[in-house]
This record gives sequence, C-alpha cells and structure tokens, in this order.
Amino acid sequence: MNTVLEDSVAGPGLPAGRGQIELKALSMSFGQGAARVDAVQSVELVVAPGEFVSIIGPSGCGKSTLLNVVAGFMPPSEGQVLLDGLPIKGPGPERGVVFQQYSLFPWMSVRKNVEFGLKMQGVPATKRQTTARTLLGLAGLLAFENHYPDQLSGGMKQRVGIVRALATSPQVMLMDEPFGALDSQTRVVMQQILTNMWQRFRLSVLFITHDIEEAIFLSDRVYVMTARPGRIKAEVAIPLPRPRTAEMMSSVEFTQILHKLRNLIREESLAAMGHELDAGGLEGFATEVGPTGVQHLV
Amino acid sequence: MSTVPLRALGAVVEDREPPPATAAAANTAPALVVVPGAVAGTPVLSAPARRASEPGAAARLVGAIRAQATALLLGVCSLGALVLFWHLATTYRWDFYIRFTNLPTPLEVATQFGLAMDNPKFLTNVGMSLRRIAIGFAVATLLGVALGLAIGRYKLLRQLMFPAVEALRPIPAIAWVPISIMLWPDNEVSIVFITFIGAFFPILLNTVAGVQAVDAVLLRAGQCLGAREPQLMWHVVLPGAAPQVFTGLAVGMGVAWVSLIAAEMISGQFGVGYFTWEAYSLISYADIVLGMITIGVLGLGCSWLIRAASRLALPWLVYSKPSGRI
Repeated sequence: MNTVLEDSVAGPGLPAGRGQIELKALSMSFGQGAARVDAVQSVELVVAPGEFVSIIGPSGCGKSTLLNVVAGFMPPSEGQVLLDGLPIKGPGPERGVVFQQYSLFPWMSVRKNVEFGLKMQGVPATKRQTTARTLLGLAGLLAFENHYPDQLSGGMKQRVGIVRALATSPQVMLMDEPFGALDSQTRVVMQQILTNMWQRFRLSVLFITHDIEEAIFLSDRVYVMTARPGRIKAEVAIPLPRPRTAEMMSSVEFTQILHKLRNLIREESLAAMGHELDAGGLEGFATEVGPTGVQHLV
Repeated sequence: MSTVPLRALGAVVEDREPPPATAAAANTAPALVVVPGAVAGTPVLSAPARRASEPGAAARLVGAIRAQATALLLGVCSLGALVLFWHLATTYRWDFYIRFTNLPTPLEVATQFGLAMDNPKFLTNVGMSLRRIAIGFAVATLLGVALGLAIGRYKLLRQLMFPAVEALRPIPAIAWVPISIMLWPDNEVSIVFITFIGAFFPILLNTVAGVQAVDAVLLRAGQCLGAREPQLMWHVVLPGAAPQVFTGLAVGMGVAWVSLIAAEMISGQFGVGYFTWEAYSLISYADIVLGMITIGVLGLGCSWLIRAASRLALPWLVYSKPSGRI
C-alpha cells in the first residue's frame, strides 16, 4: 500500500518547510460607511509546515472568513496573508479546500471528481486515473469510483471531497467545518480517517469547527476566537500523543483541555449575546470561568 | 469490501459490532442500502433488506408491468375515442353550429397518406421543414447557449445586453415575418430566421437562468482545484447549467415548430406548413388534415429527440433531487 502511494502521489516526500501559513495583522470588513461590518480584527496566526491547527469560536465570529481569505476567495482588508512567505493572490491547487457544504460536481463520477484538479494541470488521463484510484482506495471508496456523488451518503461525499483536495498534492488543506452536516457517529469515523490521512501526507491543515472535542481530537494547536469582530482570544496547545484514538477522548488530559476551551468559548458566546442579557445574570457565569481558562491567553 | 479499506488506511476504528456480510454489495441497485454510521458510511446490504429483496423484486416487477399495461390501455382508449369521434362526426356530417360537413373522414386521410408517401412532393415538403428546423434550431442553440453562458456569468455583459434582449423577447416570431422577408436576400433564409427567432429566446433565457443557478461552492471548488476561467466555464458552468439548458432546448423546439409552420403558411414555398395551407387553397380537405397530423408527429419526434439527448447527456440527473429533472 505504502509503495503504491509513494510512487504515484507526492505526499510523504514533501520537503520540509513548505506549507506555512501566516496571518499578519489581518482585518476583514464588509460594506461601506454605516453598513460596514468588521468581521475579523488584527488576527495573528501561524500554521507551521505539517501542523494541524484548528480555529474555534462562537458562531458569527469570522472563522470562515479567515479561511476564505487563506483560500484566496477574498483579499484581506488590512494586513497580510502569506503562504511560505509569499502573499496569497487567489485560489490555487497548492491549497486544497474542503467545504462545509457538499461541493462535488454532481455530473462527474466519483473518480472524475478526484481527477479534476489533475486534469486542470494537464496530467495525462492514465496517470490521473492511477492517482485517483490509489487515493480512493486509501479512503475505502474504490468500489464507488464510477458512482455519481448523489448516489453516496453524506460521509462518503465528504471523504471524496477530502480525497479530491488531496489529489493535487497540496501543501495546505483548508477545511471549513467539513463534518458539520454529518451525524455524530459518522463524524467520529471521519475524524479518525482525517487524522490518518493527515499523518500519512503530513500537510499543514487549517481546520474550522465549532465542535470543541473535534478540535482537540484532531489538532496540534487550537486558536479560540472572540465574538465579532473576531480576534484571537487564546491559543491552546494540545499535547496529546499521536496517533490519537477514541479512548483518549475520555482521558484526564483531554477532559482538562476540553473544560478550558469550553470556558473560553462560553465567555465569548455570552459576550456575543451580552447586550441582550441582564448584567446580573451574566456575573454568575463570569465567575465560573475561573483562572485556568485564561492561562494560555496570547 | 467494507472494512478492508479502513484497515489499509491504518485506521484505528473500533469494531463496535461484527461487520455485516457485504459480498452481495455489488448486487443490483434496489436492495443497496446505505447505512451511514455503521461502517464508515460504506453502503452495505443489511441482512433483512437482502432477504426481502427476492420476493419483493418479483412483486415490484409485476406491479410495474401492471401499471405499464394500464397506462397503455388507457392511452389506446384515449386515442381511440378521438378517432371514433372524428369518424362519427365526419361520416354522419354533424352540423350543430360547428360544421363537420366538409371535413374528411379518418379513412380518407389514411388513404391520402398512402398516396402522399408515393408522391415525392409531399416528402420534399417534409424534408424542407425538417431542414429548416435543423438549421434554425442549431444556430439558436449555438448562439443561445454561448450568449447565455456569457450573459449569465458576467454582470457587465448582462447589464449591457439584457435590456436589448428584454425589448426583443416579447415580440412573437410570427410578427417578424414581414421584416424577415425584407431583411434577408431570399425566402428560404427568412423562414430559417423565423425558426431561429422562435427557438432562440427560450434557449437564451433558460441558459442564463441555469448559469446563475450554478451553486457558488462548485465554482469555488473548481477554482481551488486550479481551473482558470475558460476551464471553469467549460467544466463547471456549462455542465452545471446543462439541466436548464435542456429545458430551454425543449421549449425552444416547440416554439421553433410553431414559428416555422406560421412562416411557411405566410411566405413559404415548400414545407409542411405550406403544404397544409396550399391544401386549403386547393380545397383538398384530406391533405389539410394530413398536413396537421404530419406537423404534430414531426413536432413530437423532435421533442422526443431532445429528451433522449438530455437523458444521454445528463445520466447523473436521475440520482439528483427530483426538482432537478426536466
């Protein structure tokens, strides 16, 4: 299995030091004048080559906006977004993106979907097919290579989405709540598959989620964002050993990190709703946050 | 098949329960059940579904045949009633405000059809009409789809061209007949032009709507995978809009025939519309009805061709949500 992969897919042999994402003093705003909305403000963020980094935060905090900027869908309003030191100018195949919604081309078979990026690069048909089949095999989807996306379950579609993004051997994977639409059992399996894929390919991953446990299970580091306008509130390292297993999720370490992150998020969720709530009611929550929650503040 | 790939991945997936037998997963489609959570979302044949499939399939087949037979029978009844009414009304020359006195009987028309098939003039007329439809419709398809893609995709072009399109669109193709005769050097081109006008607007407007309905996430996905604008147009926008393009083609084909027949009746030489109008002028009643039926059959055939082409070009659509079908 390994030799097949290494022959046909440039994954594990990736040179070190590639795939570094840097966000420097990034601010994003939409609209003009009175209608102007500040989505994110002065964000400093780094994903080291080969690192798995998640961003969590209350809904509407601009997590997806950050990812869209890195993907090249929108230019930064202020600040810089760098990939390996160079500013990002637009979308490109060196940054694979897995979307929240299903984004497979419904008129292409599963294999043609996976081949798409290679086809755009002018890779010959036989080579495309070999690569696609190898990757689909790794994801357990080879039997479905000739199916159309609408014949697959949600989890399978998202797996094809990941495989499709991997096919062009990107240095970076950007994932915007890719498992958000899946049921909880499927999610767990998908998370497992993703960590395995990531360990095999050693790419840098920027992963957006609102699921704290998912973020801990997958990541080397987790950034917590504030309510809108989104800023980085905290940066928490996840020192759990790899490979990660489902049992770890009930370990003491895991639980401690979970509590810490939960408290950070709760503060922000409350801040987001703050204006609408009675201040007296809020104080009770605020004292619960405790000192551990703010220890790792940037 | 179900668990092996996960193992190959080195996945540490717990075996919560023994994996179901999946040897039959390559079996025929109806019994294929997707169990999302069970084995990493891999479709498996659940045992009860498999057991139920054999007698169930037989029953379903009988049911399907019965439904088909009923539909066929009712169809024959419907057509039979129409012909019977026609036969009675014309044979007994009913005259109650509506006058069936001069109308040919079905038998007369059938006889006339036999004669017409031996007459090269009739077949030439049919051939001419088909040729005009083919050319007018082909040009309308090419221009309508190309322009529709551009207008649908680029806002500036849309703002530039749509007012003109909207101004011309409400004018029915038949209203173009006099101008068309003046505009084009010969009669033949002017009739093809009328046919083109009829087909063009439905194709254009449906293509524009189809392009605008393409999911933005698919465009982003295409860009992320390295597609440049022309590639995006060809590999994402066009296939994404294709279902609605075919809707436009189906509507356009209908309007093209209406326009063609009108143009042939007014300004024509040759063509089924001309044949029908000439029959009226020559008081050849059986030919009038023969012409009508011929027009109907040709129109039906062309619509069928479009639908067949759409099924061939969009095999994925049957798996898509029902609202996506045409």
